[in-house]
Amino acid sequence: MGETPALRGHALAVDIGGTFTDVVLRAPDGRSVTDKTLTTHRNLLDGFFRAVDLALDRAGIAPAAVDDVTVHATTLVTNAVIERRGPPTALVTTKGFRDVLRIRNEHRYDMFDPQIEYPDPLVPPELTFALDERVLADGRIARPVDAGEAAALARDLAARGVQAVALCLLNAYRNGANEAAAREAMRRAAPALHIALSSEVSPQIREYPRASTTVMNAYTQPVVAPYLAALSAELSRRGFPNRPLIMLSNGGVVGTQVAGTFPVRMIESGPAAGALAATHFSELLGADRLLSFDMGGTTAKACLILDRKPLVAGEFEVDRRYRFKPGSGFPITIPSVDMIEIGAGGGSIARIDNLGLLKVGPRSAGSEPGPVCYGRGGTEPTVTDADVVLGLLDADRFLGGDMQLDGAGAEAAFARLGDRLGVDAVTAARGVFEVVCENMAGAARAHATDRGLDWRGLPMLAFGGAGPVHACRVAELLDCAQVIFPPMASVLSAFGTLVSPVRLDLVRSALDTLDTLDWDAARALIAGMAAEGRAALAEAGVAEAGATFSLGVDCRYRGQQNEVTAEIPMAVAEAGDAVALRAAFEAAYEALYGIRLPDVAVEVVTWRLAARGPIPAAPPPPLPGGAAAAPRTHRRVAVEPAAPEVPVYDRAALAVGQRIAGPAIIEERETTLVILRGWTAQVHASGAVIAERG
Amino acid sequence: MERFDGITLEILWSNLIATVTEQARALQRIAFSPIVREAGDLATALFDRRGRMVAQAVTGTPGHINSLGMAGQHFVKAFPPDTLSPGDVLITNDPWLSAGHFFDITVMTPVFRGGRCIGFFGSTIHHTDIGGYGVGAGARDVHEEGLWIPLAKLYEAGRPNALLHDIIRRNVRTPEHVAGDLAAQVAAGRVGAERLNTLCDRQGLDDIEALSAAVLERSEQATRESIRKLRAGTFQGASVFDVPGGQKITLRCAVTVDPAAGEMTIDFAGSSPEAPIGINVVLNYTAAYANFAVRACLDPDLPNNWGSLRPVKVVAPEGCIVNCRYPAPVNARHVVGMYVPFPVLKALHQVMPDRVVAEGSGAVWTIQIQGRDEEGRPFTSSMFNYSGGMGARRDKPGLDATCYPTGVAAVPVEVLEAAMPIEFTRKELRPGSGGAGRQRGGDGQVIGYRMRTRDPWLLNVVASRTEVGPEGLEGGAPGQAGRFLVNGKPVNEARKMLMQPQDDVLMETPGGGGYGPA
Repeated sequence: MGETPALRGHALAVDIGGTFTDVVLRAPDGRSVTDKTLTTHRNLLDGFFRAVDLALDRAGIAPAAVDDVTVHATTLVTNAVIERRGPPTALVTTKGFRDVLRIRNEHRYDMFDPQIEYPDPLVPPELTFALDERVLADGRIARPVDAGEAAALARDLAARGVQAVALCLLNAYRNGANEAAAREAMRRAAPALHIALSSEVSPQIREYPRASTTVMNAYTQPVVAPYLAALSAELSRRGFPNRPLIMLSNGGVVGTQVAGTFPVRMIESGPAAGALAATHFSELLGADRLLSFDMGGTTAKACLILDRKPLVAGEFEVDRRYRFKPGSGFPITIPSVDMIEIGAGGGSIARIDNLGLLKVGPRSAGSEPGPVCYGRGGTEPTVTDADVVLGLLDADRFLGGDMQLDGAGAEAAFARLGDRLGVDAVTAARGVFEVVCENMAGAARAHATDRGLDWRGLPMLAFGGAGPVHACRVAELLDCAQVIFPPMASVLSAFGTLVSPVRLDLVRSALDTLDTLDWDAARALIAGMAAEGRAALAEAGVAEAGATFSLGVDCRYRGQQNEVTAEIPMAVAEAGDAVALRAAFEAAYEALYGIRLPDVAVEVVTWRLAARGPIPAAPPPPLPGGAAAAPRTHRRVAVEPAAPEVPVYDRAALAVGQRIAGPAIIEERETTLVILRGWTAQVHASGAVIAERG
Repeated sequence: MERFDGITLEILWSNLIATVTEQARALQRIAFSPIVREAGDLATALFDRRGRMVAQAVTGTPGHINSLGMAGQHFVKAFPPDTLSPGDVLITNDPWLSAGHFFDITVMTPVFRGGRCIGFFGSTIHHTDIGGYGVGAGARDVHEEGLWIPLAKLYEAGRPNALLHDIIRRNVRTPEHVAGDLAAQVAAGRVGAERLNTLCDRQGLDDIEALSAAVLERSEQATRESIRKLRAGTFQGASVFDVPGGQKITLRCAVTVDPAAGEMTIDFAGSSPEAPIGINVVLNYTAAYANFAVRACLDPDLPNNWGSLRPVKVVAPEGCIVNCRYPAPVNARHVVGMYVPFPVLKALHQVMPDRVVAEGSGAVWTIQIQGRDEEGRPFTSSMFNYSGGMGARRDKPGLDATCYPTGVAAVPVEVLEAAMPIEFTRKELRPGSGGAGRQRGGDGQVIGYRMRTRDPWLLNVVASRTEVGPEGLEGGAPGQAGRFLVNGKPVNEARKMLMQPQDDVLMETPGGGGYGPA
């Protein structure tokens, strides 16, 4: 890890989400101004600058004073895919393989449901073309690209109004020369085409996920590149001294040049920033491991922080079309923060299934009509309704009292549900609270176990509108004894971008047997990735001395198809130390699966390099000490069957060091902290409220 | 008897399913057998001490899950729970007691709590090799097909059964892979048992007797309820297809719906007799696929356990191809087994037209290649597979290049080319091969390949439906039959073929049937 740079001046962060655009403006002394405004879908930059103006006005400073970073996370790329707002895009493959997007991997992701569906590919069949060329598996070129054929195709594409092209030729992960030659010829014939190469976007073995990733990059590039250019120009016009940094889904930030070339890397940048905020708190509180738990209106997301870094995975899915099922979306093979998302949020609907069991989600009432208590026509009881019935939420003070909730309506809905279970409304609501907490705990357990990690006892960071309400109960189910409620929880992703290092993750596949590995070739691959990483760090303003590089190798036992990533020191590759690499792989394999197979040969499949800058400093805001605040009021809370009277505090009034024993409620504008019996909450100097059990 | 309300039971039950699913996913990721990791060709389940399947993992193929469910009964009969000790692990690959061929090894781990066996954690996975004939349908009786492991103890009070381990290692071609996968099954059983004990600790349970009773009772009632909504009667269905070697197979069934009792009987009387090649199906496996088809139509969200399987009875005359007798060869039983759902779906079409799927390509085509690379080094590929088109649904087209009922993933072209000296010339959809209709059947695909070698090589292809294409439903057109060509000439061969270095192979997989008139 490099040195932590000193703070300079004001830093600005803007996170554009599906509903709100959040802004955080941090002063040199650590104080922050935060705000949110509605996202302006027609032109996202309108909302961006509206939020920025609000923050600058409240801080009373001019753009020129924002002389530290300006960081941006946005849902732009995800929305462009889900709403199919990209331009006409073509795919060019090797002759004989043009249906790669429609054949996929031939898998039916739900064996038992005959009605499953897949999303239509981003490129329609009539815009899929093939070139008569061939690269072999070992990288030899059996047939070079015919420049005339490629040029003619480019002119044809331009004539059809195509703006973007994904080139994904067979075995290009091993040798991208044919792709490069095709691009050269096509560019000369049709200079306006945006062309993405699979050998640059995601040079990894397996033609379908590579094509899917390259197509998504090509499809979004004509949307994203002008957006980033307009953003830079407008910031500069308004007098902001620095060029913006863009949040990627791997939990790092980069300059606009890299982001604009590889927009597919920006997908899920908001949630990734949330995970980086969790990393910040793990650092601040000295917790090496942490479970971040973000529960919103429709889903809950969990992410593991290990050794104060978020877990990063190599593949995820976009646009799950059929009942949100895994497998029903587009596979994207770019490094991204490894998160599990489940259909459990405040709007999740409770129902009795045909076995008489109480089920919660994944169907959600969303924000329209929303839970019954919103009074917008919702009739089915939701998690938020249960929270109101149980007294966890105050119907009169939701969103600081800006939105009056219909408590009686929620109660009536639960009375109807309870009738079908043979219990009263409050018992049914308590059942929903229990079941949704079990669902989330179960998902977190599976996520950790799948990664060979022990989930028991991890501290939890709870945020999102519904996270702090349910966190203590979920923590109990995970044998966890510490829950951290961060400050600025409602704009935590924006805050997270300010504590994200500059980072670019690079990947190259080169299948080889470890015992006879061509280390010279491997070192050349690594050097190539390091050069690309170094250029990205330089663009984002990281000095050479502040850069660090870490190496991962995806290996498997020969005969298997799933790889396990082994982290190795750079020196192992420099020395060509096969014994050390095997040992690192087997340690990782054993951690995951509990066994080693000493008799089986090991294969190296993919090399990974992460280039990182230093983690930016973020000093805690100064908080007033002073006298402990008294409860504002008391109310009945029925999480326990006895429904005792429970003290209710305003979070803003709490003093640093103040201790509050559960059961207790601590309210803030956008969420409510529920401290269950057996837990004690204390206000930390960082502004976080930390609850501990026992 | 029932002391669980709908809230408590939901929490306990979902925890049971999570426990077995976790182990299934771990097994799938580490398995050497490509069919396991790509197709999820495995099953894990929890059994009560009476050998009744209480919960099964949500991953897995129908053939394995339901066959494993039936194996539980045989294990407890041979090894009553009170005779077992902590550290015992049980095993079998008996085709007639478990999943229908030797490749599938079932491992059962008793779960102890307070010194008493409270249940079993079971898993079945398809292993890389089991000796004998190897992959394919060419054996003449079951003994030629490999090693037969009776119901036995693989571990006794924590100590490995050394003789049995040695017998297994000496009788398979890939001993380190088989041993690795068996070790993974044993580890999964141990972890599953730990998880169940943790769950009992958390929920204050001494055993799972009452919980099992509640789960099975509710599942059985829900299944009966869904049958009660159907029209009474006996409905006929039949499906005809050809197998390697050219023989035409007919599967015929009569589905009797008894809404009063909430029961269904599926009788395969009238189906073809046993075949001389290894495509015969044991009744366990037939019942597994027949039940699968019924459940997909009744309600895909119904649980799958001993209780929900009870109201559906599957019978077939002894000696027919879907209830074969010892010593019939069974190695490639999936070739016929994967067609079992189609006559059932055709019968159910008369009762639930909106839920069924038209006939599709059926079994995936499997391939295995042995030979030498350009430098003369020998290689044997793992088995790989390709799908034809799926049949149309009433309101949706059939999926292209996607198999039903299994839905096995294919190994990517680039992975195969990196692993052996094969060069693919084509892998594209086969336009127009799906049957026309109001909803069209899914297209099959065209796959071409040759070897980069100087030596003759061996090709083992199990293709089906190369003569009779899948029928459409309600006037939908049939899908095109498949074609298997070597150097442009059609081939129909159940055994391994000796190929010349320059030979070109082309496989055109069948399309799916359409639904409704175009």
